[in-house]
Amino acid sequence: MMDLTAGQWVVHAVTHPAEGFEDMRWKKAGSLKITAVILLLWFAGAILHGRMYGFQFFAVPEKVFNIVPFLVQTVVIFLAWVIGNWSVCTLLDGEGNMRNIAVYSAYALVPYVVSLYAEVLLSHILIRDEGIFLQIISVTGTLWTAVLLFSAIRSVHQYTAFKTVLAVLLTIAAMLIMLFLLVLALSLLQNVWLFVYSVFTELMYRLKV
Amino acid sequence: MKRQIAVLTAAAAMLCQTLPVRAAEHYDVYSYDRFDEAVPSQAGYTAERAVSGKMLGTADFKEPSDLFLDAQEQLYIADSGNDRIVVTDTALTTCLHVADTFTMPDGTQTTLSLPTGIYISPETGLWYIADHDNSRVLVTDADGNVQLEITKPDSELFDASMTFLPQRVLADKAGNVYIVLGNITTGAAMFSPEGDFLGYYGANTVEETSQVIADYLRKRFSTQEMRSRQARTVPTGITSFDLDEYGFIYTCTQSVSQRKDMVKKLNPAGENLFASLPADWGDLHPVYDSATNLSYHSMLCDIDIGADGNINCLDLTAGHIFQYDKEGNLLFVLGTKADQLGGFAAPSALESCGDSLLVLDQQKGTVTVFRESDFGAAVHRAAVLCNEGCYAEAIAPWQEVLRYDGSYRQAFLGLSAGYFVTGDYKASMEYAKLADSSYRYDRAFACYRQQWLHEHGGQLLFGIVLIFAGGILLRILHRRQPPGRRERT
Repeated sequence: MMDLTAGQWVVHAVTHPAEGFEDMRWKKAGSLKITAVILLLWFAGAILHGRMYGFQFFAVPEKVFNIVPFLVQTVVIFLAWVIGNWSVCTLLDGEGNMRNIAVYSAYALVPYVVSLYAEVLLSHILIRDEGIFLQIISVTGTLWTAVLLFSAIRSVHQYTAFKTVLAVLLTIAAMLIMLFLLVLALSLLQNVWLFVYSVFTELMYRLKV
Repeated sequence: MKRQIAVLTAAAAMLCQTLPVRAAEHYDVYSYDRFDEAVPSQAGYTAERAVSGKMLGTADFKEPSDLFLDAQEQLYIADSGNDRIVVTDTALTTCLHVADTFTMPDGTQTTLSLPTGIYISPETGLWYIADHDNSRVLVTDADGNVQLEITKPDSELFDASMTFLPQRVLADKAGNVYIVLGNITTGAAMFSPEGDFLGYYGANTVEETSQVIADYLRKRFSTQEMRSRQARTVPTGITSFDLDEYGFIYTCTQSVSQRKDMVKKLNPAGENLFASLPADWGDLHPVYDSATNLSYHSMLCDIDIGADGNINCLDLTAGHIFQYDKEGNLLFVLGTKADQLGGFAAPSALESCGDSLLVLDQQKGTVTVFRESDFGAAVHRAAVLCNEGCYAEAIAPWQEVLRYDGSYRQAFLGLSAGYFVTGDYKASMEYAKLADSSYRYDRAFACYRQQWLHEHGGQLLFGIVLIFAGGILLRILHRRQPPGRRERT
């Protein structure tokens, strides 16, 4: 039973919100390769969504293209999620390891990523009056992913529903703390660099004069 | 060798200087592109000459503050510093008449004191003079016989402690008189043709800045006594106004801080018809002046509606004149702050006169004549056609405009509308994209899609059926295979 290929596992997990991830856990399925592919597709989809949306809906106002925001909004936020969830759930008796958290979360993202592409594609075919369809796709994809993500976290850590909600909230808090620490570290590093630089300049000046 | 080169370069430079150079403006002419950034553009008007009072055969103007063109093609200049009204022909060659004394109804003579506004009614030919320092508005006929004198109203609506300082004056088709008062922020004071005070008209609204909202919230929680000590939130009073041919009053407001209600088009009820317009008046970004090392926001001190409905606004701080079409789309920016021709020291009023624009400079005491350039003429031709709804006919003029200035946004919009009307939806989409107009693109695309479906709908349907049939066929073939091969996973 449940002898599925790696690809079929993705479909199974996405189409069975209630027990798809339980099955995956039971069969020890899920591949890092596919996780990477989903992330890459998400990244590309976010760029397409931001830059190649149908002109009748959204005129891209920027003259220059900056890839960093897209990178941060997809891959970096995913990594922060995985690390945050892992650090929270090891403290909350979660059974998932980091690999499984990453794999399950990525699988849960599939509906959202698909909705990104579907939206971009349809935005070139529809007109403004029919924009409600794009909204439906967007909302459906997001909600579906939210449900899947909840199910994924519950399965990977073998939590109750209440504990899952708590874990998700704590994970978001952990992500914010990470952001805060990152900003702090960056500004401190900048200060250190400035200090070293001014000492160096001063020394060079003294040597010259 | 080096010296030879130097000599040659000097000679070349001299040669270049003697070559006739195309008459260009002394300043950078710009327009805004689809990213709302200033880009170099062609001049819609070129400064032709500046006329002083002496050149007209009368005394030099002293701080003149208003300019008006009447229906009989005569130009009136409110020469405030000399306490007189100067009447000239539109070519600004001779002074036709100087009005400084007027006969009151009781036969006494009266003079003006700092007249700051002049208006001639096209219906009755009466003069309306804002006599600032005498705190009155005089209504006289062309011979100088005063018909009516409007002074500070004795009304509950008018605060008795306020002085009455008329700056600009206007009369609508019904003969109602509107007066911009320097110290009143509640709009223009409105008087009946008989001189009775009717109330205020066209007040500005307060801009919802964070300060205003914070003050409002604070007021909700403060006592009456605290409230009385707080600063009151009042809008900026209007600065100048003009009438268009349909009788709509346009106002402009000169303010350092307020961006809202800079230009308004008022209906008879006093509602702003431009309130929902996405238009942004004046310069979109503060203009940096290297001479004074300061950045200036536009402050519109006068407004004028041209014969074809174009809205001309005069910016006091940077000396710019902004010309907009009826819908508030920017056509041209001209003028600057400079000593040369085409530059101003302190512009105070503007008036359009046929194909030229006249700008009065308070400090220089001159009237600068801007003549429409070939480019300006092309834009006006196209814009007039567009505003009349003749989009298809406007295609050729807009193409001509693009030959002068290949990045003129209005031309892209006009062409998009034109090709939309003629049914060339593909071209309409292309120009909508160039103009960065999502809305126009959407309109054109909707029709283009319908056209495409009309032509290729059959093929599309056939393709879909083919794909489905292929899928079903494959599935049937798949089922017929032996189970052993199917189980291989």
